[in-house]
Amino acid sequence: MYTNRAVGMAYVSPFLIGLALFLLFPFLASLGLSFTDYRLQDRWSEARFIGADNYTQMFADHTFRKSLWTTLIYVLITVPLKLVFALFIAFVLNFKLRGINFFRTAYYLPSILGGSVAIAVVWRYVYAGDGLINQALTLAGFGTVNWLGEPSTALVTIILLRTWQFGSAMVVFLAGLQGIPQDLYEAAKLDGAGPWRTFSRVTLPLLTPVVFFNFIMQSVQAFQEFNGPYVVTGGGPLKSTYLLPLMIYEEAFKYFDLGYASAISWFLFVLIGVITAIAFTSQRYWVFYAQDRERAP
Amino acid sequence: MASSVELKRVKKRFGTVEAVKAVSLSIEPGEFAVFVGPSGCGKSTLLRLIAGLEAPSEGSIHIGERDVTYVHPSKRGIAMVFQSYALYPHMSVAQNMAFGLEIRGFKREEVRAKVARAADILQLTELLDRKPRALSGGQRQRAAIGRAIVREPEVFLLDEPLSNLDAALRGQVRVELARLHARLGATMIYVTHDQVEAMTLASKIIVMNAGRVEQVGAPLELYHRPANAFVAGFLGSPRMNFLEGSVTSAHAEQVVVALASGPVLLSRNGTGLASGARVTLGVRPEDFRVLSDGPSYRNAIEGRLVLAERLGAETLVHVALDAASLATPIVIKIAGDLPAGAPGAKLRLAIDPDKCHLFDPEGTAISEAAAKLSVSA
Amino acid sequence: MRAVAPSAPVRPSTPAALSNPASLRPPALGQFARLLMNLGPTLRYSVLIGIGFLMLYPLLWMVAGALKPNHEIFSGIGLIPQAPTLEGFAKGWQTSTEYTFTTYFLNTFKIVLPKVVLTVISSVLVAFGFARFHLPGRRLWFGLLIATVLLPKSVLLIPQYLMFREFGWLDTFLPLYVPSAFATEGFFVFMIVQFMRSFPPEMEEAAVIDGCNSLQVLWHVVVPVIMPAVISVALFQFMWSMNDFLGPLLYLSSVGNYPISLALKMSIDVTEATAWNEVLAMSTLALLPSLLVFFFAQRYFIEGVTLGSVKG
Repeated sequence: MYTNRAVGMAYVSPFLIGLALFLLFPFLASLGLSFTDYRLQDRWSEARFIGADNYTQMFADHTFRKSLWTTLIYVLITVPLKLVFALFIAFVLNFKLRGINFFRTAYYLPSILGGSVAIAVVWRYVYAGDGLINQALTLAGFGTVNWLGEPSTALVTIILLRTWQFGSAMVVFLAGLQGIPQDLYEAAKLDGAGPWRTFSRVTLPLLTPVVFFNFIMQSVQAFQEFNGPYVVTGGGPLKSTYLLPLMIYEEAFKYFDLGYASAISWFLFVLIGVITAIAFTSQRYWVFYAQDRERAP
Repeated sequence: MASSVELKRVKKRFGTVEAVKAVSLSIEPGEFAVFVGPSGCGKSTLLRLIAGLEAPSEGSIHIGERDVTYVHPSKRGIAMVFQSYALYPHMSVAQNMAFGLEIRGFKREEVRAKVARAADILQLTELLDRKPRALSGGQRQRAAIGRAIVREPEVFLLDEPLSNLDAALRGQVRVELARLHARLGATMIYVTHDQVEAMTLASKIIVMNAGRVEQVGAPLELYHRPANAFVAGFLGSPRMNFLEGSVTSAHAEQVVVALASGPVLLSRNGTGLASGARVTLGVRPEDFRVLSDGPSYRNAIEGRLVLAERLGAETLVHVALDAASLATPIVIKIAGDLPAGAPGAKLRLAIDPDKCHLFDPEGTAISEAAAKLSVSA
Repeated sequence: MRAVAPSAPVRPSTPAALSNPASLRPPALGQFARLLMNLGPTLRYSVLIGIGFLMLYPLLWMVAGALKPNHEIFSGIGLIPQAPTLEGFAKGWQTSTEYTFTTYFLNTFKIVLPKVVLTVISSVLVAFGFARFHLPGRRLWFGLLIATVLLPKSVLLIPQYLMFREFGWLDTFLPLYVPSAFATEGFFVFMIVQFMRSFPPEMEEAAVIDGCNSLQVLWHVVVPVIMPAVISVALFQFMWSMNDFLGPLLYLSSVGNYPISLALKMSIDVTEATAWNEVLAMSTLALLPSLLVFFFAQRYFIEGVTLGSVKG
């Protein structure tokens, strides 16, 4: 609306500077670093170019492969689980309930607090040998489980930690559900649609934009999970919860191998990028937008 | 205080689209000028150019003596009333009205006095402390106008101010606007797509279509002497009926036009019309009469009744003149009721020979050469 | 009952298929689905309360644990302490380090408050630029803005660390809040842009006619009107910063600079015999600011989340 472009650029300039300084430059620098052998304690000049050695080392590294595998499993389980819970609860909530706000708050609360160290700490406490979960299991007649000590179960605690925070996705789904006009349900009823058909043919298609949004956001966040593994399990036992972000951190700041860590971080970036790109291109086939999609400017 | 407004060959391009195509206009001080036309015709763009919210691609704009083409909106001596009122929602009515004055550095007492005066004119005094959300549509409308009055501008610009009001309110506010104009004697430039507003409010109507000015003039002049088929069809409701035909014979006192339904005799000076020339005959709905059975009449047209819309004081009768025009019947307006007839019934219509318009194939009105001399009763 | 023609293109396929839906799926599933979908209020309430209680139980147990003496911590699943005491809070606050939680809380706020203020200011300015000006390459920049939301931060971690090391900012709070002055969190800018766009520009045009320059329009007209979005941004950034762990972990080395998140982690690292009641007490306190802010400003959170997503 305002025609003075120079003034407009002035308003946007903080972002442009920040983009270059804190985003673009580090982004490219880490790519560059991934092709070097650079230790944390070195000066810049001591970085040695070693070609793609970091990458070959990476793919040969057993720890990396295990970490990648663990991360993939983690994402593949948490994201759908989270979305299903979120949609289910949003669906149950989408009703002229008295106290809908109360419930919505109650379910949203974990996702507000969940990313914090405090909750991760509490999680360690809850899954401890004689923690809450084991006490409950004993009460119900089952035996206790060494959640944090067994490689087979440690990842489950991390998965549950993230899934517990489905509140933010739920709130988005709820908004999406509430955005579907009542008229459509009435029309479907007149057409004789039963509840399942109404859900699958009316509700779900109209929710696909929200499903898509949630899927992207949740996936990208899941791939970057750090607090959980670091605080609750320390990546163990036996690297069973050693997710990629944690590995990147340790390679860089515990083993001081910045070149290698950068290579892994770039791999992670490409992985997320590919998945996001696939999701975006697949939109055409399953996401239904009710109005014209107005892309930003 | 009221100033003239002049546009000289103003053009406005948005990218490759020419929204305004070389418009030149002159508006006298104190006139109520209405830009009217279908959506997309460029009328709002023209208003925004005068306001200074857009800059013209070519041409110049003058307010009073000054060339304001590149002058900032706040320094052009204009005030604008927006379609959506654009009141600042977090400020009271009084603060809304005072805002511009405060920015311009007027003293507190002066501001208060001006606001009080404007509020008095618009009967807003009791509403001064309310916020816009506590006002009805009509009240918000008045607050927006109040904000404009307080600036004591040289020219008022109004962008479809009535379109957000419901029908009942619209008529009321229309009258208030007319009264306001009379009281202030200000130059008002008004944009609307509603030809009723144009006809009732304007002292000068500017009809626009696709970025061009079709005709400029007083309302009744445009109504009775439209320059082209567009203006003829735009003003007047229901729309003027257009019938295709060709000239059979043309003389100094009469012209005979052959329509699909038969020949029609017009009392007009036909000199200059070539025999066989294709013409469009334009007749307004109120210029028809329904003939009762009986004596034949020279200008009778036969048709079949399609639909009669009885409004009480008048009836709109849709008549199909031949099988081909069943989908697009002509509409005629008669006082009172139509003597009962079922759809399909035969009707005989007469056209008032003095009240016809002729248009050439391009749509331009065919004027009468020495019209005033020959046409009598 | 009015007959309404569905306005959306989505319609059940054919009337014939609808009249015997049972033929299209197993009957048992249909019964269950019917039950589920036609949930009466009682069923809904029970589900909500049941699952809700399970979800919140860890939090409740945390608070309960904070009030128990240490030997009672693992004694049972119950919430009510047999010997309620505040010693968890008292001892926990003192910590076994040379600093108390006072220092740690203060550190947290020294990080969070500048971050929130800088985020709000820069996001509003940048959003205004994007929303209302014709910028060269606007699509590109805006696209990049959205891309930053999806960008995994781990790929920027190492070079950013090296850069701040060059600046000499290690072990200070600067790396944690200075980037916020540059509107690098695209999500917030996006949210404000969408909110600004939902208002027609006519109000701002009126202000221009009233004689305002763009900054005056922003301050007098735009900011008051977009206040809900601004508050949402502030609240979200507050929450996220309170929870930030990796940032402080990376840049802060002296314990005297630790915010609550690092202090908490430290408290469970110390020895094998963790004083859990103290840890839980401090965890509760750590969550308290977020909890309070959330309860008082829920509306803005929920609206903020939906603003960025459903409208997007």
